[in-house]
Amino acid sequence: MEKSQPAAQIIKAGLWNENPLLRHTLGICSTLAVTNLMVNTLVMNIGLLFTLAMSCCTVSLLRHVTPDRIRMMAQTLIISSYVIVFDIIIKAYLPEVSEALGPYVGLIITNCIIMGRCEAFARSNPPLPALLDGLATGIGFSLVLFAIAFIRELAGFGSLFGCRIMPASFTPWTIMIMAPGAFFTLALLVWLVRTFAGDNGTTQLQGPKT
Amino acid sequence: MNKIGYSVFFMFAITLLCTTLVSVIHVVTRERIDLNQHAKLEIVVLRALAVRIPENSSLAEIDALFRQRVARREISGRTVYIIDQADGKTPQGYAFSVSGPGFWGPVFAMVAVDASLSTVTGIEFYLHRETPGLGARINEKEFQRQFAGLSLNMPVAGGKYFTLTPAAPGKPPSDLDAITGATMTSEAVEKFVNREIATFRALLLESSLTTVPKQ
Repeated sequence: MEKSQPAAQIIKAGLWNENPLLRHTLGICSTLAVTNLMVNTLVMNIGLLFTLAMSCCTVSLLRHVTPDRIRMMAQTLIISSYVIVFDIIIKAYLPEVSEALGPYVGLIITNCIIMGRCEAFARSNPPLPALLDGLATGIGFSLVLFAIAFIRELAGFGSLFGCRIMPASFTPWTIMIMAPGAFFTLALLVWLVRTFAGDNGTTQLQGPKT
Repeated sequence: MNKIGYSVFFMFAITLLCTTLVSVIHVVTRERIDLNQHAKLEIVVLRALAVRIPENSSLAEIDALFRQRVARREISGRTVYIIDQADGKTPQGYAFSVSGPGFWGPVFAMVAVDASLSTVTGIEFYLHRETPGLGARINEKEFQRQFAGLSLNMPVAGGKYFTLTPAAPGKPPSDLDAITGATMTSEAVEKFVNREIATFRALLLESSLTTVPKQ
């Protein structure tokens, strides 16, 4: 059980082979909600990355002492603690962004990617690989979110990170900043990636299945 | 039985650990969060009352400016912000928060009126859940600027002080430009802002605030 994989393989899995959004289609809720502005996406990504890496590491550290029966309760508790810590920190130091993200920071708790990685990897691997897996998966998620936010903000507002990019004559595509715009963008992206990567959507999950 | 005992102990221990972590962070940042929320409202009031906030002011400086210029009073359970003239005796204007249902959720605005309650001097839409790029544009300067100078002496048709209609040349001054593509938000704003201004105006006229200068 304790046979850890090489770091390169863990990173590649998180970024590409097992990218949570493109391959497993997990964590869609936050993808739809926060990707209409690059700034909001950045904060959501940092939040998810922090929570994911710390939770994976903590779950891994406690893997020998956690009773199997109640491990999910413990995981939820660990994940929510980190999310609340992050929420408090941005409330204190980035109040405007905190307001823009509203309830979505709290909803990181319910992001299935986090519990998915804790269950699939951190629970049965040592802390360092678990931390690496959390970081790699989080970055894989972040990159896709940035790609979607890039398209949505550019088309929907004509700007990037709030700076106007498109000429003044550009008519914003309002649909892109509303939820349907995220559906279209994400679906197209998943379709493109899966088509060009020659993937038919049957990638195997790593780690033990429960 | 032993297994169950261990599980309970483990859950207890980890809960204690996690809540301690969260509590520590909460206590450390509480003061700053309070200050943020405090300052946010103060900035809204100052902006509505057209008080210039120096650039790069710290939260403490904004707080000091607010305390120096603005007094807070309760009328019938609602808060009114009073700004004095430079002499510090006669009031120059009042600001109050109004709210009503928008398209997606409640919309809050801070309305400022002059001391004679005859003109709107400013408005700040400060909290809403309207569609980004459409209804959310109510807090853009161009939209809010239209309200400054709005006369409250005589309501126009339908008991309203202002209406929001599509931009067109030669409209009467009470006819402000609505936001294109945000009909529902514009209608909602027109409805509750008109109604709430009327309510507050009546409250202010009844109260002693408008005649007695604050000490």
